[in-house]
Amino acid sequence: MGTFILKRLLHMIPILLGVSLLTFLLMSLTPGGYLQSLRQNPQISAETVERLLAKYHYDKPWYVQYLYWLKNAAQGDFGYSIQYKIPATDLITARLWNTFLLSLFATIVAWCIAVPLGIWAAVNKDSLVDRACAMVAFVGLSVPEILLALLALMFAAATGWFPIGGAQSSRYDELTTLQRLWDRAHHLVLPVLVLAASELAGIMRQMRSNLLDTLRAEYVTAARAKGLPEGWVIYKHALRNAINPLLTIFGYSLAHLLSGAFIVENIMAWPGLGRLTIEAYTAKDSMLVVDSVVMATALLIVGNFVADVMLAWSDPRIRLKE
Amino acid sequence: MPLLDIRNLQLEFGTGRDAVRAVDGVSFTIAEGETLCLVGESGCGKSVSALSIARLVPTPPARYVGGEILLNGCDVLKMDQRELRSIRGGVVSYVFQEPSASLNPVFRVGNQIKESLKLHRPQFATDDEVIRLLKLVGIPAPESRIRDYPHQMSGGMQQRIMIAMALASEPKLLVADEPTTALDVTIQAQILELLRDLKARLRMSILLITHNLGIVGDIADRVAVMYAGQIVELSPARALLQRPLHPYTQALMNSVPQLGHELDRLQAIPGNVPNLGQFPRGCRFHPRCPKAQSDCSQKAPELVEVEPGRWVRCPYWK
Repeated sequence: MGTFILKRLLHMIPILLGVSLLTFLLMSLTPGGYLQSLRQNPQISAETVERLLAKYHYDKPWYVQYLYWLKNAAQGDFGYSIQYKIPATDLITARLWNTFLLSLFATIVAWCIAVPLGIWAAVNKDSLVDRACAMVAFVGLSVPEILLALLALMFAAATGWFPIGGAQSSRYDELTTLQRLWDRAHHLVLPVLVLAASELAGIMRQMRSNLLDTLRAEYVTAARAKGLPEGWVIYKHALRNAINPLLTIFGYSLAHLLSGAFIVENIMAWPGLGRLTIEAYTAKDSMLVVDSVVMATALLIVGNFVADVMLAWSDPRIRLKE
Repeated sequence: MPLLDIRNLQLEFGTGRDAVRAVDGVSFTIAEGETLCLVGESGCGKSVSALSIARLVPTPPARYVGGEILLNGCDVLKMDQRELRSIRGGVVSYVFQEPSASLNPVFRVGNQIKESLKLHRPQFATDDEVIRLLKLVGIPAPESRIRDYPHQMSGGMQQRIMIAMALASEPKLLVADEPTTALDVTIQAQILELLRDLKARLRMSILLITHNLGIVGDIADRVAVMYAGQIVELSPARALLQRPLHPYTQALMNSVPQLGHELDRLQAIPGNVPNLGQFPRGCRFHPRCPKAQSDCSQKAPELVEVEPGRWVRCPYWK
């Protein structure tokens, strides 16, 4: 198991290198840049612009810029956001944390609802509950996140029960610790629900079909033939096997959550990584774009890594192959 | 009173007009310590009949239409869930065709055997008892094997584990549903040898299901040959092998290759096994039967005792 984890960790390095290189190349191929656009500003002298360009190595070819970035990033310095005028590391950390919170709670909500519902639907196949779940899943899969997010905004505006956008209120600094916690939770509710709703349907259907598959397996008949109570047969023998493919999906669902977070964050003004990436791209703050893409990749890889480890822990056959 | 007495078992899949009768009036008995072989081609209803002994056929889609399955004198078809659980494993244990699919891949083999012990002999649910069972079925170095997962074993080993699991509850009847079909020929012989040895040592009854007449002579006391959901011949094993009476049994015997005989080609039975629910009128075998007479397509023959202990479903057996 130890070598398995180590191997997986080492696999991350080439992926991160590749993604950062590709992003750097793409950014350098797009015309213009934040500093170049300063040239149009008559209040800033040409010398200042040239000085700034040189300072951040924007005057050099892209691969030299990349090597500078790589050297600094290896030391934990992710460059300087020329748009926000603060070190990119600080900016990214705060935004990464927000996106992480959003994805984490959305995952928890989606899985805690979807898995039991999927099991219930499979055990009571073709019942009224099963059909109702299928209906809800169909709607859930068909409605895009954008629409859901807009509906949630309308709901917040109409009722006033939830804040419209943002991660904290304007008087956050005046609050006590407990009030701050409540304030953040209050802001989290709607984005989490929107993001979770789009995840839920898929996981539920997957859980249902996995369990139905394993309930047909021969080892389930064998377990019944031993004289095990039906509850044990379903929840021990069948469910334990039905979970394994779901753990693989956990990795994918994380990717889906992150891309979903890009949309939800932008519509619901959640100050997360997705929003930052798009802001940085619009402003041509290329260093920040690379940083946030690399961070999103890292988040995704770590999520997949967690899924792999869980799968190896759950399925002895995987552990041995590695 | 025989240990198992199946009387006129009828089972259908589906309902109404689409209903398909997979088992149609099957009757046989197994005495204590006796081994009965149930022989027939795929889809003849032999597995479904065997699974019915512990009511393991899922209902729906299946439906018991009639008959009785008396196990120790109690009708299995009338039992509630609690009674069923106590006979499953407790009186009748199963070994299935595909050991790699019948063992749960995510649990250690020792624990899977222990699970049976916990249910039926809780005071013996210990590692020592599991090791004793593994020794009984001939697994080398059992102490180190109990912590293995099924995929770490060969097919033959897995089947031995299945047999150990079936024996753990000390059943009176062991139902082995094609236990050697998925294994190599040399392993097949070992597993059959093991079953024969265990039968003598533990005085169990065995119901062995197979499509291979070749293994009948090694192990069976009596043989029931099934065709299209019905028993067509029921006979002591030796007598059946020496002189099969039903044309279908004769055809089956002719299609087994034999050592030492110079044959140009194997005899195949002409035609195909009829699909479930599309059985021909009259005798179900008559379209493929070399001895068929004109009235075979009209009148369905009964299973008749033609010699002491020998039952045949064919009026023209002579």
